[in-house]
Amino acid sequence: MRWLCLWAPVALVAACGGGLQPEPICASTLVGACGTLRFRGTIPDSTDNVFIAAYVNFPQTCTDLINNRRPVIPGSVPYTDSIADYSVALDPGTYHWLVAVWKKEGPLTLSPADTALLRVAGYYRNPADTTQPGVFTVPNGAAAGDLDFTADFDHLRPATDFVTCTL
Amino acid sequence: MHTVVIRASALAVALLLGPVCLHGQGLVRGAVRGPQGEAIAGASVVVPGTTLSTRTDLSGRFRIPSVPAGAVRLLVGAMGFARADTTVSLTGGDSTTVDITLAFAPLSLPPVDIVSNKVPHFGDRPPTSVAQVTEQEIQRRAVGTIDEAIEHVPAIQFVNGQINIRGSTGYVQGLNSRVLMTVDGIPMNQGDRGGISWDLLAVDDIESVEVLKGAGSSLYGSAAFGGVVNLTTREIPNGTHAQVRVTGGAFGDPPHSVWRFRDEAGLHGSADVSASYGNNLLGGRISGGQRHSDGYREQDGRDHTHVAGKARWQPAENLRVDLSGSWAVDRYDIPLSWCNRGECDDRGQVYQPYMIDTSESGARTDSRKGYLAAVIRRTVSPKLAWVGRGSWLRTHFIDVRRSATEYGIGDRFGAELRLESHPDSARTVVVGAEGTLSDVTSDIFGSHSQSEFAAYGQSDQRVGPVRLSGGARLDLMAVDGGSLTAFASPRIGVTIPTDHRARDGGVLRASVGRGFRAPTMAERFVRTVALGFQVVPNPTLRPEQAWSFEVGHISPPLFGFMRLDAAAFWTEARDLIEPQVLLIPPDTILIQLQNVVRARLAGIDASIVAAPIPQRLTATLGYTYLDTHRRVTNDSASGGPLAFRPRHLLTVGTDYTMGAFGLGADYRFGSRPESIELEGFVDPRRVAMNVLDLRGTWHRGPVELRVLAANVLNYVYNLVPETLAPVRTITLTAVWTH
Repeated sequence: MRWLCLWAPVALVAACGGGLQPEPICASTLVGACGTLRFRGTIPDSTDNVFIAAYVNFPQTCTDLINNRRPVIPGSVPYTDSIADYSVALDPGTYHWLVAVWKKEGPLTLSPADTALLRVAGYYRNPADTTQPGVFTVPNGAAAGDLDFTADFDHLRPATDFVTCTL
Repeated sequence: MHTVVIRASALAVALLLGPVCLHGQGLVRGAVRGPQGEAIAGASVVVPGTTLSTRTDLSGRFRIPSVPAGAVRLLVGAMGFARADTTVSLTGGDSTTVDITLAFAPLSLPPVDIVSNKVPHFGDRPPTSVAQVTEQEIQRRAVGTIDEAIEHVPAIQFVNGQINIRGSTGYVQGLNSRVLMTVDGIPMNQGDRGGISWDLLAVDDIESVEVLKGAGSSLYGSAAFGGVVNLTTREIPNGTHAQVRVTGGAFGDPPHSVWRFRDEAGLHGSADVSASYGNNLLGGRISGGQRHSDGYREQDGRDHTHVAGKARWQPAENLRVDLSGSWAVDRYDIPLSWCNRGECDDRGQVYQPYMIDTSESGARTDSRKGYLAAVIRRTVSPKLAWVGRGSWLRTHFIDVRRSATEYGIGDRFGAELRLESHPDSARTVVVGAEGTLSDVTSDIFGSHSQSEFAAYGQSDQRVGPVRLSGGARLDLMAVDGGSLTAFASPRIGVTIPTDHRARDGGVLRASVGRGFRAPTMAERFVRTVALGFQVVPNPTLRPEQAWSFEVGHISPPLFGFMRLDAAAFWTEARDLIEPQVLLIPPDTILIQLQNVVRARLAGIDASIVAAPIPQRLTATLGYTYLDTHRRVTNDSASGGPLAFRPRHLLTVGTDYTMGAFGLGADYRFGSRPESIELEGFVDPRRVAMNVLDLRGTWHRGPVELRVLAANVLNYVYNLVPETLAPVRTITLTAVWTH
């Protein structure tokens, strides 16, 4: 049994720790942004999903909207309840727009044409001046938290309300 | 010239069909037993320097016809026993009976190697690394499918069902395999996708498995780029035999309550029945069974039904015909990817590994697959034999998704004719020709066919204690009747005993060979949508190719209780096929498979087998260090390791036997893969593999009970993105054998 005695403890120690672990949305390991999204209004029947995107600089064109989005391939936020937690993995740095995007059913092509399927449902606002987008900074190795804002399904706004689009 | 052709044709016909003079030949028969008189099934019995060899049946009996009269030397061996070398006297037209007793030798090396040469080599170590999984090991592990038994072999890792030998394949979502699977030497990779159906045969139908590590294309052609796995099915014994096998078990609950996804434990179970009858003239075996599993995660249920048969007919002492086939029907749910935030009721979690993206609910696959094969072997003389075979493999799948339903029907027809010759006692020559026709009809692959013709030859020459081996194969391939692509695959090897005194002493080996893999029709013609992007076909794909080098050494027994086998390997590959993202101005993004990657896979592969308490305690340890480097053609900035290849692989196993009871444990470790494909498009979360299995057996008379606790610590891990690997699974197995 000496062989068993030699290696079994090693295996036990190795396999008892580690592995995949539960990860709350605003996790201590997150590098990015997290917070709470509140929903208002009636969910359109054509809703595919709602996702969060961030921009280092406020986009000027539809091409900026698509190409400078972080992350490029967005996740989604559960929208059927009145409130949902969210988190987005982002590179450290300062961001000038954090937006909740409503997506209509249909395939995305990662081109400006995607804006036909997308609407701005809400964005994080400057706490000192709620008419302006909020600016936040993702520190190295940590998350920017408490970035709470509202998405309003009754006031979904097209991209052209914010940027210039030439399709 | 005309006369020469006629004479050659007449000789060929005579070789294939003509009667054989049996004057001066006789029959050798007998039994092989252990030191306590127990029958040894599956022992190899060989007349050295000839084509004459056989394996013992369940009662340890054997018979070898057409043996030249006179003093006949017999070599006998079995795993776990010392080899016997004996001589018997045989009179022409008569028979002689010999009973052979083998002594226990837990460190003995496998007595026969087939996979590295296509013909049995008794007592010779192959020049390339070969691992064997015996029937006893398969039974002891109490596994449900054959891949579960193979994954404990050093240097082998299964990545979501795809086999990797020394990091050969990585993970390519079932679109190809760089490892060839053969059943009794017959290639069984799918005709359309080139993948391997590990549940084509029930585990009870398999007697042993051989794994050739490294390029095997010089004998096996395409797909043997990274190695060959040969399944040997059970021999049909004389007499009536039957077996019933019933299993039942449960999957472990998630270790964290926030991950729970069902209120009751998931269950699984199976029932298998097999029966056989045989005599010296003919024999048959039929088996069938059914399995059901609730799965260990959401949308993971599976039902499997299979039937298999095998028959042998020996109309003459020197002629044997084997027929075999199987058919399996599966219906399994597809948990395409785990639930990321917002894709299900995520309970405030970034991801839920046991749940699925609800947009994929209802995804399933209906699959049917089967094969028919016929093998004819004729021993023309003790020095010459030929083998002919034909086979048909069919796979049929229907993928049902919410967005689309896809289907594919693939056929693979194969034929081979092989001559085995022993010109003298020190030389073996194998030459053969092989043809394969694959076709596919599918809404995502289209309707296409691919034909392959190959000729090969290999010679083994013993020069004193040194064994030299060399051979080559030429493959010609055409797609849809188009132009031919030719590929030559040479290989040479040498083995040198380092301990001349001991029969099972140390051996040094070295080999170099070229491997290739023709693109599958799925790779050439796939047209589908992946990650929201259109995947477009690339009919101009070329074969992948590689040179593989290996130097290894098997030690003689060390300290009286252990043996070490170590090898250093190096593979230089080019034209590897990988998906590429194409940006077509102004705003179109496409995915296409292209020959763009050069790669180096190098490392060491070492294993130790120890028997510190003979007959009671055995232990194994295997370690593989793998260093890979990938570079995209014409992109000097590219680099880094190949995707899905762990740098470290470790396997440890222990078995303790005490009378009717046996206890065992296996541990597998794989370091976290440094790289994955499509990084940035998928959840990059991944961890190391740390799996501990415990097992126990008890047997009495015809009844055997086994228990297996796989991943007993319920370690939660994944090997590919967003796909949970198996969790704790308890399985109880009862076997009754008549």
